[in-house]
Amino acid sequence: MKETSLHELTEKLIGTEIKAELLRLFHTNPGILDTVEGVARRVGRMRKDIETEILTLVELGVLRKERFGDLDIVSLNTSKDREILKKVAELIKGGVKG
Amino acid sequence: MRVPTGISELDGMLHGGLMRGDVTLVVGSAGTGKTTLGLQYLVNGATKFRENGLYITFEHMPAQIYRDAANFGWDIRKLEAEGKLRVVCTSPEVLVKFVESRNPIDPIIAEINAKRIVIDSISHLEASIPRSKLRGELYRLINHLKMKELTSIFTAESHEVFGNRLMVTGVGLSFLVDCIILLRIVEVQSSLKKALTVFKIRGTDHDKQLREFEITSEGIKIGIPFKELEGVLTGTPRRTTEERFAEAFLKAARKGR
Repeated sequence: MKETSLHELTEKLIGTEIKAELLRLFHTNPGILDTVEGVARRVGRMRKDIETEILTLVELGVLRKERFGDLDIVSLNTSKDREILKKVAELIKGGVKG
Repeated sequence: MRVPTGISELDGMLHGGLMRGDVTLVVGSAGTGKTTLGLQYLVNGATKFRENGLYITFEHMPAQIYRDAANFGWDIRKLEAEGKLRVVCTSPEVLVKFVESRNPIDPIIAEINAKRIVIDSISHLEASIPRSKLRGELYRLINHLKMKELTSIFTAESHEVFGNRLMVTGVGLSFLVDCIILLRIVEVQSSLKKALTVFKIRGTDHDKQLREFEITSEGIKIGIPFKELEGVLTGTPRRTTEERFAEAFLKAARKGR
């Protein structure tokens, strides 16, 4: 994360419309604890259209994905999310790089 | 031991509050105040009785809950930040996992030491559980909550706005729960009013009157019983026989003058 530029970070976070929608959903509704299908319904999308974007946000650490029985449950990783927001704020303060 | 809802008139009707560890079903059609009653129970628990609570919603987004609660002066986000209340927005199939040994809800209950829980609404479980298994799974869920010593409120949608039928799941949920509170819309003199009654409590006495209630800027306020009316639960009450007789008597007396 240290070497990441603001452009790279924002590209990873909100590089697509769906990722931006997902981030907005989880930020305004931090209590969501749902299946990928459930999350898809909440953003008015199809499951197949959000799966990859969810995975990217899980890899970034913004979202958490945990298996319970036969269900994968997705939720906001609040501590990591705060960390990333802080990083974005720092990068903006320090001037746009890259 | 009683668990006060914090709605003083309702606690009076319940002779002190809900019974600890009981499951209460709050039944009503759309717009009767089921969600408001559930939230008020949790907010009062967290702010007046040192009992933290968990609100599980399937359709309402937390942002909507925060906004609607703010209209009553309840700062849910603040209560969440203080670890006194949590709003969880999930799907019925996730709630079904609640009874499994490893599930996503238990850690939240442990984290905030929840004593109260509201599931809004239990009617959504019908879509996730085959009808043949619904009663058994609801029984399992109710016992799971009791084992955790949670005092629970389930809201349930009644499809009829008016009418004299009470149908919740059709699998006998009303037999499984300990207490039932009915919320109805009734028409009185061309105005729509809200009525509340405690329909059943297992093992204890309760007020059996039908009372008018309003959703005010501070939440639910329960008023006086519907007097001089009968058939209120049907949604279209009529005056009692005594009232009709009294009116006819007065009319006859006026004519005779």
